[in-house]
Amino acid sequence: MSDPAAVPAIPTFPARQPVDFVIVGSGAAGGVMARELARAGFGVVLLEQGPHRTAANFTHDELSTQFNNELVGSDNVQTYRRTPKDTAKPQNSPPPALYAQGVGGSSVHFSGNYWRLRPSDFKEKSKLGAIAGTGFDDWPISYEELEPYYTRVDWEIGVSGAPGPSDPPRSKPYPLPPMPLKSSGALLETAATKLGLHPQVAPVAILSQNYNGRAACIHCGFCMGFGCEAGAKSSTLATMIPEALATGRCELRARCAVYRVETGKDGRVSEVQYWDEKGRPQAQKAKAVVLCANGAETPRLLLMSSSPKFPQGLANGNGRVGKGLMFNSHSVAHGVFDQPLHDYKSIQCSRMVHDFYESDPRRGFYGGGGIDARPFLAHSPMLFALTTVPPDVPRWGAEYKKYLAYAFTRHMAVLGSGTSLAVDANSITLDPKLKDSLGRPAIRVTYHDHPEDLKLAAFLQDRSMELLQAAGANKAWRDPIEPSSIGTHLLGTCRMGDDPKNSVVDRYHRAHEVKNLFIVDGSSFVTSGRGQPTMTIQALAFRAAGHIAKFAKQGEI
Amino acid sequence: MLKPQELSRRGFLKATGSLAGAAWAASIWPAVLAAAQGAAAARDAGAEFEQLTAEEAADLAAIAAQIFPTDELPGANEAGVVYFMDSALRSFMAGAADSVSEGLDGLNRKAAAVQAGARFSMLPAPEQVKLLKAEEDSPFFGTVHFMTVAGMFALPAYGGNRNHQGWKMLGFEHRHFWQPPFGHYDTPAAGEKE
Repeated sequence: MSDPAAVPAIPTFPARQPVDFVIVGSGAAGGVMARELARAGFGVVLLEQGPHRTAANFTHDELSTQFNNELVGSDNVQTYRRTPKDTAKPQNSPPPALYAQGVGGSSVHFSGNYWRLRPSDFKEKSKLGAIAGTGFDDWPISYEELEPYYTRVDWEIGVSGAPGPSDPPRSKPYPLPPMPLKSSGALLETAATKLGLHPQVAPVAILSQNYNGRAACIHCGFCMGFGCEAGAKSSTLATMIPEALATGRCELRARCAVYRVETGKDGRVSEVQYWDEKGRPQAQKAKAVVLCANGAETPRLLLMSSSPKFPQGLANGNGRVGKGLMFNSHSVAHGVFDQPLHDYKSIQCSRMVHDFYESDPRRGFYGGGGIDARPFLAHSPMLFALTTVPPDVPRWGAEYKKYLAYAFTRHMAVLGSGTSLAVDANSITLDPKLKDSLGRPAIRVTYHDHPEDLKLAAFLQDRSMELLQAAGANKAWRDPIEPSSIGTHLLGTCRMGDDPKNSVVDRYHRAHEVKNLFIVDGSSFVTSGRGQPTMTIQALAFRAAGHIAKFAKQGEI
Repeated sequence: MLKPQELSRRGFLKATGSLAGAAWAASIWPAVLAAAQGAAAARDAGAEFEQLTAEEAADLAAIAAQIFPTDELPGANEAGVVYFMDSALRSFMAGAADSVSEGLDGLNRKAAAVQAGARFSMLPAPEQVKLLKAEEDSPFFGTVHFMTVAGMFALPAYGGNRNHQGWKMLGFEHRHFWQPPFGHYDTPAAGEKE
């Protein structure tokens, strides 16, 4: 595929002279990091394994985008197993760790639900106590410490929303008013109010009005899983990356796939080795390296970068790299209504219910989450016809067709998104046999939801069914609650903590074992939050960038 | 009958994933698109099939017409689903072409047992339905079902969804721009704002 959007490499940093920072990964975290460090005056090389697409490259082609992994990368070979006792098998289309490859990373294809964590998320172990067999713990930072950076995300990238009844405190209002109400949101609002719950506007990283020179959403409907053709989705591709490049201090190298972070005899990171867009091996020397490659790619790279000084993998002396993967738990319920919703138009979510956010010991299990109404996979015709058929409707024939023709415009889903507990067995490791198309050991995902996560999913699904009934659905059904074998939220695999024995990075995202190595992405999470992690990934990135810039200026790297 | 796990995204992706994977080994996307656009043009000009034999095409069209029969709303025939299949099986689903041929052979052996010398496409509709019911859990039927859905609803450039007949059947209108109200239940709210 040609790369029509290739940006002139200005400046061009010489590979054999150490650049101030090499950042690996240009997604939600890497885009922020590049822009912040470049604006702080540092030279930055930003490496991205996928291509540099622009809004003009994005289409409504459901077949290529949703079924043939156009954004995910068709050659992203990974293996999956449920437990360490099982033999992992190749799983593709999509792979178990599901993320987009390309400049902007998964912020290009996400739905843009931008929930903040709450103060309780950061100190939940102190509140509820330890949970045996899990890595359940407090974060080393507090909500109060992160709040200014949540607010920066709101204003820097453009988040549309309105405060809700039980939101955490915020220092500044949303920069943009809510997105228009959808029929699914209206039905959720009516039903939740009827049940004594507190529906609220769903905040999203999508522009409800023109903002910072970008145009507002045109409600085309090709949002979740697609790149935004209008540039209204606040991906780092549309926001941070152009601003990083505009500094003249950031060089973006797309289609450059990193295979090793090299360390010198002094135990410091010395260079990042990668294959360039023509498959040639390259090495960029760096004064410091920031890994923002996501919760699957970051641990893989560390594990691939073993050396005599780091025999178990870079920064992995304590064996914690890759362990404690969290996907967030999910449940789906469906309803069909008498009148058309046309929920395939516009974005996914306009309203949500956060009454079940906090963990409540009276429920008999750990966990909490949020509920929202949306088309989910019924937002596009093929996915609707293949995934959104009730159990009592046949899969082919006149009845099937009659159902599709009636329900496509009348359907909505109610989703529960919630906590996952960190379990050591759930992990990213290197597959011992399979290699990816570039010869790197394939990502091996081991994952089996903690029983409490599945109880939570069932609980949220019960509430979802009540909401669908209260909304007046003439038909409602559930997707079965099953252990996850695919995750789009890749959290907790290089967690932050004050104790070098049980965490990989410190509270400033510096690797405990390597002074000039920083890690900022979903892997930094200590707990999973309630199912919409990208807002927090970006707040962490803004915060970390500030500290890293300060360390660099003070000669502390 | 539908199995519960087939309702889940994961189940569905499991069912279709291997096909898509094979697809990619066979081709890269721009080439597929070019082929697909060629197919659409050929279809509109009434050209012959390039991958399928006329008999295979008739059988696949007959299966597709049982999956989406024509009634008061357009079905697989009106959408030209078989042209999508012809294009897909020689490009991004080339990896499935042999198994589809073999599946058709098996189905036709059963058809001949029902009526000597008959292919599936020649059987009366009730007999076709009977044979497909016995087949509906097979990987072959899964592949043809997937191609039928894609041929109904994927972009017309791929050769199916002729004149947006598949989308019309669903009530899906393809536009790049919408504004509120989007549906019945948000209409009052949209009205308030004006």
